[in-house]
Amino acid sequence: MNAVLSKFADNFSETAIDDEIVVMNLASGDFFSLTGTARAIWLLLDGTRDLAAVTAALAADYGAEPDAIGPEVADFVTELEAAGLIRRG
Amino acid sequence: MSAPRTPEQAMALLDRESRVRHGPVPHELGGRDCAPGQWLISDGRFLSRCPSGYGFLYERGHGVTVERPAVPDPAEEALWLGGSVHVAIAALNGLLPLHASAVAAGGRAYAFTGPAGAGKSTLAAALGGLGLPMMCDDTLLVDPLGPDPLVCLPGRKRLKLLDDALALSGAVAEAPVGVETGKVYARPPGGTVTVPLPLAMLIFLEDGPEPIWEPIFGAERSARLDDDHYRQAMVRAAQDEGRAGQFALRARVAGQVRMARLVRPRSPEGFAASVRLAADRIAAEGKD
Repeated sequence: MNAVLSKFADNFSETAIDDEIVVMNLASGDFFSLTGTARAIWLLLDGTRDLAAVTAALAADYGAEPDAIGPEVADFVTELEAAGLIRRG
Repeated sequence: MSAPRTPEQAMALLDRESRVRHGPVPHELGGRDCAPGQWLISDGRFLSRCPSGYGFLYERGHGVTVERPAVPDPAEEALWLGGSVHVAIAALNGLLPLHASAVAAGGRAYAFTGPAGAGKSTLAAALGGLGLPMMCDDTLLVDPLGPDPLVCLPGRKRLKLLDDALALSGAVAEAPVGVETGKVYARPPGGTVTVPLPLAMLIFLEDGPEPIWEPIFGAERSARLDDDHYRQAMVRAAQDEGRAGQFALRARVAGQVRMARLVRPRSPEGFAASVRLAADRIAAEGKD
């Protein structure tokens, strides 16, 4: 298993409004609105899954092939990491 | 953790904190100079100095001190006390002031918000002609320290309208405002509400070619709460909650209060149509 993806809980506040999750980076004040698959990935980042497991779970939820969605999931996870919202390991 | 304060407690607090006495007011607060036309908030206090020579100091627990210029103008004094000073007192006592005029329907409040000149007061007053009494004009105070659902307090400011808005809304002129605002104090045709009510909806007024009512969903509901930069800057200065606290407050409001855009043309016909549309949608919202 590769590095587990975990949220930096101290770095952000989040709230659900309708079908969206709004996340605010407490250091920068930047907002992130997560809908659709972005919201689904965010919810899968529960500190127990690595990138492959997140991709597999998302693929199962959406009836997709993990290989087909893998690059986009990886890109989004990298964005969250760059934004200081999650970490690997 | 203390129990949420009741709306009655919030109203009594506001009454107590809004008491006025006259006397000298400093020119600086918290080590910073307050130039004419500016305001400062520091350590539970608010200071504002006006170009006309008026000075206003509010100290939490001590009420408001007003320094009058050599030639006082009671009309101007009333405008400041009902405007910036009122907003500062609210913010320094944990209330969330929104730039909105509201009506009551079915025991809940429906608030119209938008920038100055958007027609908030005129629309809210005009809805009185369709049986919806007015809850507040220009400033709506929501109490985040109260219980759920979020409650807003009845307004303390008299309705002010321009002459053309009087004609559009059916409000009755009572007295000139007295300062060069071009407005008169007026009585809304549907009367006023004097009790706190749950806040059901925030409606954002926008200009457009035809009347449209469009619900606002998701993250935009949170983002829209930041539209009113002036009042929200005062809240940030007064409440010192940090980003997490501000976010939590916005999340609570956005999570409970429905929102919509009301787009309408700036014409008498468009205004009448938008009043009917708003009344219809508010009636429909009340049935949900």
